[in-house]
Amino acid sequence: MSHPDHPASPGTRPTHAHPNYILIWVFLAALTAVELSVAFLPWPKTVIILVLVGMAFWKAALVGLYYMHLRFEPKRLRILAIAPLPLFAVLVLAVITEYIW
Amino acid sequence: MATTATGTAPYTRDHGHVDDRSFLRKYIFSTDHKIIGIQFLLMSLTFLLLGGTLAMVMRWQLGFPGKPLPGGTLLPDTYTSNGVVLPEFYNSAVTMHGTFMVFFAIMPLLVGVFGNYLIPLKIGAPDMAFPRINMASFWTAVPAGLLMLAGFFVEGGSAAAGWTSYAPLSARSDLSGVHLGQIFWCLGLIVLGLSSIMGSFNYITTVINMRAPGMNWFRLPLSIWALFVTACLVLLAIPVLSGAAILLLFDQTIGTKFFEPTAGGQPLLWQHLFWFFGHPEVYILILPAMGMASDIIANGARKPVFGYTSMVLAIIAIGFLGWGVWGHHMFQSGMNPTLGTTFMISTLLISVPSAIKTFNWLGTIWQGNITFHVPMLHALAFVSMFVIGGLSGVFMAASPFDIYIHDTYFIVAHLHYVLFGGSLFAIFAAVTYWYPKMFGRMMSPFWGRVHFWLTLVFYNCVFFPMHQLGLHGHMRRIYDPTQYAFLREVQPVNVFISISAFCLFATQFIFAVNFIASWFTGEKAPNNPWLDNGLEWTVASPPPHGNFGATVPTVYRGPYEYSSPHSDKDYLPQNLPMPGGLGSAHPQQAGD
Amino acid sequence: MAHAAAMHEDVMLPPPSREAGAGVYNEKLGMWIFLGSEVMFFTALIGTYVILRFAHPSSWKAPGQVLNIPVTAINTFLLICSSVTMVKAFAAAQDGLQRQLRLWLLATVIIGASFVGVQVYEYTHLIEKGFVPSEGLYGSTFYTMTGFHGFHVTMGVICMMFVTARAFQGKYTKDDHRGVEVIGLYWHFVDLVWIILFTIVYLI
Ligand code: HEM
Ligand SMILES: [Cu+2]
Repeated sequence: MSHPDHPASPGTRPTHAHPNYILIWVFLAALTAVELSVAFLPWPKTVIILVLVGMAFWKAALVGLYYMHLRFEPKRLRILAIAPLPLFAVLVLAVITEYIW
Repeated sequence: MATTATGTAPYTRDHGHVDDRSFLRKYIFSTDHKIIGIQFLLMSLTFLLLGGTLAMVMRWQLGFPGKPLPGGTLLPDTYTSNGVVLPEFYNSAVTMHGTFMVFFAIMPLLVGVFGNYLIPLKIGAPDMAFPRINMASFWTAVPAGLLMLAGFFVEGGSAAAGWTSYAPLSARSDLSGVHLGQIFWCLGLIVLGLSSIMGSFNYITTVINMRAPGMNWFRLPLSIWALFVTACLVLLAIPVLSGAAILLLFDQTIGTKFFEPTAGGQPLLWQHLFWFFGHPEVYILILPAMGMASDIIANGARKPVFGYTSMVLAIIAIGFLGWGVWGHHMFQSGMNPTLGTTFMISTLLISVPSAIKTFNWLGTIWQGNITFHVPMLHALAFVSMFVIGGLSGVFMAASPFDIYIHDTYFIVAHLHYVLFGGSLFAIFAAVTYWYPKMFGRMMSPFWGRVHFWLTLVFYNCVFFPMHQLGLHGHMRRIYDPTQYAFLREVQPVNVFISISAFCLFATQFIFAVNFIASWFTGEKAPNNPWLDNGLEWTVASPPPHGNFGATVPTVYRGPYEYSSPHSDKDYLPQNLPMPGGLGSAHPQQAGD
Repeated sequence: MAHAAAMHEDVMLPPPSREAGAGVYNEKLGMWIFLGSEVMFFTALIGTYVILRFAHPSSWKAPGQVLNIPVTAINTFLLICSSVTMVKAFAAAQDGLQRQLRLWLLATVIIGASFVGVQVYEYTHLIEKGFVPSEGLYGSTFYTMTGFHGFHVTMGVICMMFVTARAFQGKYTKDDHRGVEVIGLYWHFVDLVWIILFTIVYLI
């Protein structure tokens, strides 16, 4: 089935088959398992943190895109959904310069 | 076809029937956005009065330290001794004045009242997207206010760490002497946060999804644009405050260590979180005022708003830039100096959109055929007072200058020029402007004028000299200026300010009486007393439940077509079809 | 393909005869906007955590020393499962399969409630061990973040029970299952937050 990114015209329901939800579930579980083992590897702490955070974002993206079906929503809704995220970066980056500059 | 099988659709506009709701449903637990707006109006005016009374206590103490407060002996012993205001009570008064005014007066007046009242009417919707959540929003704001008030009746008195509640002063009762009061402060704010969030996502959904046909984004009145961007700011800023207040509450009650320096906690973190919310908050307090003033100024000048598109872009720019300037409140906090410079530059940048708006207002009245009705007077005062406040803001944004005036009366002057001179004048303008729509009667223009002129004069007598006090080094939030040798020489200024403040306060009763009396005896208002183009003026005053009845208005043009050569009147309502296809419902294809 | 024609008057579409808005119906748009404010709420909590960890790293112990990772890993798995049951319920609603809708929703409620149960169990053990909120920054941030997440799950379970009850009354049809979709969005969001929290609180 094709997965149109947004409905052909506003007001039309996107017509896509259900994504393979079980497969995504398997992915999420597997990624969690990998995370659990990476956390205790004898790697440098920074590397571990980066890998773990990367995987967490990956999982979060899977949930957002498929379970919350953002992939199939109109583009403006997708923009709206991620709009607050930069604010997190602004706040945290600005404040940690107090400690790592 | 699946229309009826699934129950009523959310946007049912079948309200043509007889209104048979009970009194309770109609006026108390109403889901009608107009009633909720009026409820917010009554609530926030009450808090405005309360906050004003506390200010009078402060001004008495500052002007006449050590003299018994008139009526002070009636207060409990923990507040006054022989009628003289105690330092503890002074601190409470400062704190609660700021808290009430910012969170329970100006913010609900702008967002709660006019967000509710104007959005559905002006965009041509029957009601909010979620009327019941809207009702819940009001009925959450009331307990929040009661929680705040409760502080006055508990042991130790109400919160006393300033409206900004800096930690660790606010977190540790051994420092401030107030335990329960600070807890009630946090609880009140958290509950109010819930109310604001319920309101804001309602407004945003309504504006995005419920605009009448033809009401595209660039035909929205500027008041709606401003309220929309404000709602976005509320939606995203308030949860940060709620989060911070929760952390503070935990520090106070269950002994967490977030802001406790002895355990590695960071007092500066509170300031960062608070002002990360706080600066968007000040735009929450001014954007709706700007928007409504734009509507009223165009109406009074009988001219289209000058530079509509740039006005919209300025509002949006403020909405974005407002997130990156919070550090200008912290130049003196000991934060990273590089960060300070960054914040200085971003703050100077953000005054650009404000300046654009100011010039556009001037452009709007330029060569206009001005009608000086009462709302117009207030709107013009708004512009000029906002300019003064904005200019002092630019001063303070320069961190080298801020070193000298930080935490002095210069700041107090600045914030009152933008909040009283700016927001409150715009609120007076808006209340008098939409009063006929809300209550079906006109406010007395004569008493309106008297109130306006007296307020303008006394207001400037109160706040302008504060600049001078600030430059003299007069600290804000002090109990007794005469304790400091260098302040004794400016004490006469304090006396002058205090007396003017009492007059200013007294003047507000003219407004209060005018407001209440006109409700019963005011002249009956026609549908369109100001000859305005907006959709709300095409329906009865007050509009019926469901606003536009069974007909959805179709919009053909923007809201500022005054003195149009195409109309024999000097205004051209947004929903009036014109022969010859002047204006159309669909200037651009929908579905961009 | 699942959705045939004749849906024009469908309540799951934006209000008709109005300007083109977000292209989705009000409740869904409203939920997404509300989630925006939830993001900012967790921004305050998670941001605080990140900042405090930079400010005072020595307050934290290595992963696994204080917190019980095996128990939480199982709990994480539970929450992921509840997400898949939720999305299955939504798919069933879209296809109009009433029995499946009810069963998947019921499963979601049960798994969600067990998550809360396991969390309570985890808390009691930690507190017995002397790891309390007033212990220091570690305890403060741990309990605040996971506690507010747990609070969100609890709220979600309560709303989900309501939706499930309505599903058993047959209130959700192929043409109008707004309630299921909207609660689903909230539920997945809460799961998403946990995915982040589990990594940064327990594993780092
Ligand atoms: C024209 C743009 C503006 C600039 C550049 C500006 C700049 C500043 C700066 C630098 C401060 C901090 C001063 C200090 O504490 O040392 C300040 C304080 C303040 N500003 Fe503004 N401001 C502007 C507009 C506004 C507006 C529109 C409002 C509200 C409607 C506002 C409300 C406040 C308040 C309430 C404070 C005091 C906060 C406190 O209690 O410490 N400002 N402003
Ligand atoms: Cu600011």
